[in-house]
Amino acid sequence: MIHLAFVMAFLPYNTLVVASGVAAVGCAAGVIGTFGVLRKRALVGDAAAHATLVGVALALLVTGQRNLAVLLVGGLVSAMVAIVLLVLIRKFTRTRDDAATAIVLSVSFGLGITLISGMVSRGIPGSGGLERFLLGHTASLTANDALLLGTVSVVGVLCIVVGLKEATMVAFDPDFAAASGWPAATLDLVLIALIAVMVVVGLPAAGAVLVTALVVIPPAVARQWTERLIPMLVIAGLVGFLSALSGVVISSLAVQVPTGPVVVLVATAFLVLSIFGAPCRGILWRTRAVSSLSSEFLTKTEVGVATPTGTERRP
Amino acid sequence: MIALTADTTFMSWLDSIGPLHGWAIATAVVVSACCAIVGTPLVVRRMSLLGDAISHAVLPGLVVAVLLGAQPGGIGVLVGATAAAMVTVWFTRFLYRQAGLWEDASVGVSFTTLFAAGVLLVTISGSRVDLDPGCVLYGILELVPFDTVDLYGWDIPRAFLSASFVLLLVSCGMWCTWRWQLFTAFDCDAAKAAGVPTVAVTVGLLVGVSLATVAGFVAVGAILVVAMLVVPAAAAERLVHRLHHAVWLAVMIAVVGAIGGYLLAWRFGTSAAGMMAVVLGVEYVIAILVAPDDGVVARLVSKLVYLWRVQCEDRLASFWRAEESGYARHESTVGGLVDRWLRVNGQVQKQENALVLTPQGRVNAEVIVRSHRLWETWLGRHVDLPVDHLHPPAEWIEHHLGEQVRKRIENELGNEDVDPHGSVIPREKR
Amino acid sequence: MTGNNSAPEVHADNPMLEWHDLTVAYGRRPVLWNVDFEIQDPCLFGIIGPNGAGKSTLLKASLDLVQRAGGTVRFWGQRLAEVRSKIAYVPQRETVDWDFPVSVMDVVRMGATSRLGWFRRGGKRERELALASLDHVGLADFAKRQIGKLSGGQQQRVFLARALAREAEIYLLDEPMAGVDAGSQEQIFSILAELRDQGKLVVAVHHDIRTAAQWFDAIALVDMRLVAAGPTAEVLTPENLTMTYSGRLGILDEIGEAVERRGRTS
Repeated sequence: MIHLAFVMAFLPYNTLVVASGVAAVGCAAGVIGTFGVLRKRALVGDAAAHATLVGVALALLVTGQRNLAVLLVGGLVSAMVAIVLLVLIRKFTRTRDDAATAIVLSVSFGLGITLISGMVSRGIPGSGGLERFLLGHTASLTANDALLLGTVSVVGVLCIVVGLKEATMVAFDPDFAAASGWPAATLDLVLIALIAVMVVVGLPAAGAVLVTALVVIPPAVARQWTERLIPMLVIAGLVGFLSALSGVVISSLAVQVPTGPVVVLVATAFLVLSIFGAPCRGILWRTRAVSSLSSEFLTKTEVGVATPTGTERRP
Repeated sequence: MIALTADTTFMSWLDSIGPLHGWAIATAVVVSACCAIVGTPLVVRRMSLLGDAISHAVLPGLVVAVLLGAQPGGIGVLVGATAAAMVTVWFTRFLYRQAGLWEDASVGVSFTTLFAAGVLLVTISGSRVDLDPGCVLYGILELVPFDTVDLYGWDIPRAFLSASFVLLLVSCGMWCTWRWQLFTAFDCDAAKAAGVPTVAVTVGLLVGVSLATVAGFVAVGAILVVAMLVVPAAAAERLVHRLHHAVWLAVMIAVVGAIGGYLLAWRFGTSAAGMMAVVLGVEYVIAILVAPDDGVVARLVSKLVYLWRVQCEDRLASFWRAEESGYARHESTVGGLVDRWLRVNGQVQKQENALVLTPQGRVNAEVIVRSHRLWETWLGRHVDLPVDHLHPPAEWIEHHLGEQVRKRIENELGNEDVDPHGSVIPREKR
Repeated sequence: MTGNNSAPEVHADNPMLEWHDLTVAYGRRPVLWNVDFEIQDPCLFGIIGPNGAGKSTLLKASLDLVQRAGGTVRFWGQRLAEVRSKIAYVPQRETVDWDFPVSVMDVVRMGATSRLGWFRRGGKRERELALASLDHVGLADFAKRQIGKLSGGQQQRVFLARALAREAEIYLLDEPMAGVDAGSQEQIFSILAELRDQGKLVVAVHHDIRTAAQWFDAIALVDMRLVAAGPTAEVLTPENLTMTYSGRLGILDEIGEAVERRGRTS
């Protein structure tokens, strides 16, 4: 940590701006992504990210301005439309859930590419390279952009903090929540929408793949370390924050290394370390636990201790 | 952008497309067919997202293969990309099985990681790998015809050759292992118990997917390959019920998507790959609209037909009940659509400003009333329900009883000829 | 949702739970036909029937978790929305992900806080309530444990404790004995009986006739329709059981299919 602060202090202003923006997104994506992952909707964010292209193109076409805020609003609208379509397909057709996600993702992306390339060939100003929106352009983040990212991240995390009870109840047992009078379906949709907002806002800073990674990997890391929700949220936020920060720092130190992929790889490194080394769930720990099982049986004298079924893998 | 004037016929427009576009279209068709063939089992087995993962993972495979000296578009690249795809699949499985992650999260982790590694490799290796990130996103179908190899004096695009090779491989593989694929897709556990090498079958399918993905990658890019893998299969699956029919239909849908998408893109001056995905999406929407059993249109039509039938039958029965209770005539609500329809069909006729049943109409009406009363009696006997609650369900079920079920109910009831309300159940007329 | 600690205004003249002509369809196909019954007084009420008979569907339709094709459900003569805070539901154990990162205490607290309004987390009272409920089902020692690390019977008791923490008057339990060992079963049944003795109505979906005869005061035999309902001794007759278990009525299936197609049976 001290090292990190030390490095930060000597970073150039630009890197600092980028770092703070990306780190804010990483933190918020980790927190919000936790619920997405727990609801087994990890890739909804991916679909939303790819759908933004349509809205971005239309926003440019309608307003004629290539202004980050305008493009973001457009992207957000189309991401929401995509999510609604996804929910409709799941509800009204027999297409499987995973196929529905893949369809919405790829077709909306195709539409976006078609629109943009059509605009380019008609010479609409500002449309050149618009599809790079999905790749992100971390290095060119301005202070204003970072501020926007930070604000949205804080608001997103606040939403989760305020609605923690409702979110937990719906994520854990929607039937019980509905039977107790809570609008479970609506709350579920709100959670998905939050993920979509996070993803869309993170796009210009990080790109589609990186944002998807930030929504999925930190919660997965956090789950290895804890069995409780609130610690999981905190750890996921922290992991997202740290991997985003270290990604930016590393890529600023080395020449010609793009930020996004480094962030993803750092997060994955966290995950692999956790999968092997985390207490209780870690593979190394489990191997040791098996070898010391016999001695544990001897020491356990309480009556009525449950068999630890939790360490078994899911069917 | 070519303006299509009114007098230009479609054929001459097609002529103007020329051989270069012909090659591009042919490549797109072959690639789409490959993807549709392997995509159908993939979708049926709920592995669509693995297709997404594989398509992203192809990138590092390509880069490593090129760095190791493989020729772009050659066999080496195919091998490298397939290897990378297998790494993704293994990594996903590891995360899911060993690390206990959620299934979709495992997919998310593995493909983002491999894709990130790919992008990093591309940037680090700099000029040694000539891969445009744009190509990753949406392919370079339009440039396919310019990268040719000389084959016995013919200039054939490299991408077309490798795609055809993959198509041959994939269709042969599917053909040979079809029974196993079908069995595994239907019930993996049962197939395993029956001695089918399910792991080999699945790995084989995934190898096929990665081959098709590599073939498609060059033409349409990583993400639109997903559309080719999943959309035709998902559409076909809504329209037919048997897996091999679905494969054929998916191939047809994919080919239509490829040709239609390319021509439209050319007509409107936009990206061919993107337009193909859009056309496929439109085809999917049409499929879910017109699907024979649960399509939106089918449901709507069946609902309207049903509502109309209920209206007519209720009206007919009301004529009969009126007759039963002694009014020979039914007051005429002249101009009602239902009445007019019944008259046209010869169920009722006009007598001195009033409507009465024709003999045919009387028989039909009797069937409805008979169904109604039989159901009331049956419900009264089998279901713990007060007598005054029997009417509403019968009012609904009367429209659904066929002759044989009426007979069965009658047999079960013995010679009961009065319903719980005391009305006589009319006899079946033969 | 909102808390209500005062004694509920039970309308003594209205039955605690009544189903009027309840028909439930999945898609268009009816799976439960014309259930019509009322439970007047607090008792331990069992819904018994074969697999796929629509037992759980009956419970879910009562709670608006699945759409009703027809009929009404009333609690004390009122609609569900008006009396929700007095009703607790225990879903089937398999419906949740037991690997979810919550502790036993967290789950039970969900029951207590589910009665509070939006964004209110509850405080000491809710914690004590949860602890008391947990104690009631004999799992106070496991409060900090992750829910996946419990046996089937213990998991079921956690669900029961969550319902208890709602301090309801009517408890609706979906298969509370599925995958539960004999010891836990005994324990759960005695908790339910205790609730009944406190004047609460307990309705449980159950599949085992032997234990049902032993514990339930009243029983509804269900097989796509209500075969018989009433005091256990009166209902569990050989004829009723044969009607429920052997006579899967082909007619109902056939008509169900015709309704689904919007056509007629052959």
